[in-house]
Amino acid sequence: MGSLFSNAITLRKSVGITDAEFVQLRDFIYEKCGIYVDIKRKYLFESRFSKRLSELGLPGFADYIKYLKFDSHKSEELARLFELVTTNETSFCRDGKQLEAFQDKVLKETLDRQRKAGRLELNIWSAGCSSGEEPYTLSILLHETLRAELPRWRIGITAVDLSRAMIERAREGVYGDYAFKTTPDDIRQRYFTPDPGGWKIKPEVSRFVTFQEMNLNDPLALKRVPRSHIVFCRNVVIYFDDAMKRKVVSAFYDNLLPGGYLMLGHSETLHKVSSSFKPVYHPGTIAYLKEG
Amino acid sequence: MAITPLDQLTAGMVLACDLKSEDGRLLFRGGTQLEERHVELLRRVGVTGAEVEPGPQTLGPEKLRQIEEYVRDFFLYANPDSPPIIAMFRMALEMTAEAVSRGWELPDANTRRASNVEHMHDLFLRGLGTPETIVKHETELASFPDIYFRIRQVLEDESASAERIAKVVGTDMSLSAKLIKLVNSPLYGLPQPLDSISRAVALVGAKELSILALGISAINYFRDIPPELVDMRTFWRHSITCGIFAKILAGTQIGLSPERCFTAGLLHDVGRLIMFKKLPYASTEAMLFARENSIPLVEAERAVMDFTHTDISRPLLEAWKFPEELSAMINYHHDPMDYPNPQESAVIHVADCLTNAVEIARGGMYVVPGVDERAWELLGLDAEAVLNSAAGQYCEQIDTIMEAFF
Ligand SMILES: C[S@@+](CC[C@H](N)C(=O)[O-])C[C@H]1O[C@@H](n2cnc3c(N)ncnc32)[C@H](O)[C@@H]1O
Repeated sequence: MGSLFSNAITLRKSVGITDAEFVQLRDFIYEKCGIYVDIKRKYLFESRFSKRLSELGLPGFADYIKYLKFDSHKSEELARLFELVTTNETSFCRDGKQLEAFQDKVLKETLDRQRKAGRLELNIWSAGCSSGEEPYTLSILLHETLRAELPRWRIGITAVDLSRAMIERAREGVYGDYAFKTTPDDIRQRYFTPDPGGWKIKPEVSRFVTFQEMNLNDPLALKRVPRSHIVFCRNVVIYFDDAMKRKVVSAFYDNLLPGGYLMLGHSETLHKVSSSFKPVYHPGTIAYLKEG
Repeated sequence: MAITPLDQLTAGMVLACDLKSEDGRLLFRGGTQLEERHVELLRRVGVTGAEVEPGPQTLGPEKLRQIEEYVRDFFLYANPDSPPIIAMFRMALEMTAEAVSRGWELPDANTRRASNVEHMHDLFLRGLGTPETIVKHETELASFPDIYFRIRQVLEDESASAERIAKVVGTDMSLSAKLIKLVNSPLYGLPQPLDSISRAVALVGAKELSILALGISAINYFRDIPPELVDMRTFWRHSITCGIFAKILAGTQIGLSPERCFTAGLLHDVGRLIMFKKLPYASTEAMLFARENSIPLVEAERAVMDFTHTDISRPLLEAWKFPEELSAMINYHHDPMDYPNPQESAVIHVADCLTNAVEIARGGMYVVPGVDERAWELLGLDAEAVLNSAAGQYCEQIDTIMEAFF
């Protein structure tokens, strides 16, 4: 059989990155946002960045690294770089087992304590919120739990992410089918309205959530987040190395009020990262308690 | 499907279903390839048209560009200057174009992201189960088929006669049937089909046949994996394809047993089956993570669970007292050069990569993991020639061999 494809089609399309350049780029990324890229992903990065290189008219990676470090547009470029190195996979009601345990145990316990103390307020921090599905889900869970009691509560959900594009999408609050792949139909019916772009989150859900572009590698920024009763940071630290994990987890610890909880992603654990928290086991998840 | 009118029916078209005459008489079975004289006959008996399979379509430049882009995505992780990878890329291009010309639609971005298995429940949370404890949970729970142990016994017994081996294998009807089908498949290219285990032993060799038997009896153990997690046919097709490639590649090397390589290929991912069983949610997370990040499944497993399916196969095969050289091929198929005698594991390594490449044209979801440079050098193959011929043989053999097993 003769080939349908021209011999001119080559697998290599982009300029190559040397091991030394890769290490420089990797270290730069790590220093800026704590995301650690294994050298095994060298070719992946080569092709992912090559489009950006040609847009900038740069002949090679050495020039790109210089551009990132010294050009007058470097801070703009950094934001672009973040888009290239982050993965934003998420959906509403992701990890239902965990959310169930959260609602029945962690949230219930927290709300009870607040009621007893006569302080009807609750702060949640969603760190690495991507396009907003996670913090909106938490707001929906609060509606489901508090119901008629809701108007008496002061609720604040601070949702932050490194990616500017994701924060903008989150603020818009319009979602396609993919975002609902883990969501019961009745939740979508009740908390969203049909929109030309799919479904739009209702204002009563979104009004509790404030979005902010924020780098978890920026200790000063983290200090400005209001003290929380609960921190959600799911499927984010999986991209960090151990040192960065420790740094971020200790920032969560400092931010949490005594008796507060940290919730991580299904495949994340504090095992070997921090012993400050007390793990509380629930079916399908571990909640990490800040004692006190 | 639409009826093609008689005047448009031509020789070479394939009937999509049985064709009957007006009075209900069966004229031709579905699947028949029409010849000139058939069309003539249809005209004579007054048939006005027939349903035929869609023929291959010519692909325009835009379609070819889409195919190129699609296939390229699966090669982003591998070294674009590596000769075997370049050969696999070209091969995947041709095979995908062929599939598309026959009506296969390129999966869109959403189908390529993982589906949802939210209700699955892991037996171990991360950090709480090591590969050893996970495997122990499995091996304590279920016992391996009896026949497996009996075959292993004869395998270990250097003095076991061919008759004895034939007898042991022959006691298991379904196993012997599968073996005979396998040996009669194009994989062995026999001029005459054979019909007994003793003939198969004579032809393939006693030790070789028992190794095949061992592999097939091991497969039977895994029938009860939650089917919603992965499509078991897809899983076994991957395994069998890897086995075929391993057998072909073994044939290019001096001193390697094709049967042993086939069996190792067949079982190279067994660790993954235990993961599906014990850690269904984490396994799904790994699949999702792999697709989202364009990395091979094995790397995603490491990120999500801290260990990979070969970390699971190691204690598993040990618990089953699997023959050492077979275990090594399976356990080292992702890093063949870490094994002191790497030639055989290098074969499985390349075969696995090749399998990923040919699966692109069938909706495979994972990037090609890349070929270890030293492993490739060790095998000393001419990429283009060997891989193309291997792919050709795969296309001819896979369906028949799948049928032999399932
Ligand atoms: C896979 S998403 C997880 C989204 C959501 N939490 C969930 O579990 O569905 C990971 C998010 O972490 C963000 N991220 C990665 N590194 C970050 C950093 N240093 N600071 C803030 N956000 C970061 C990425 O931009 C991305 O949106």
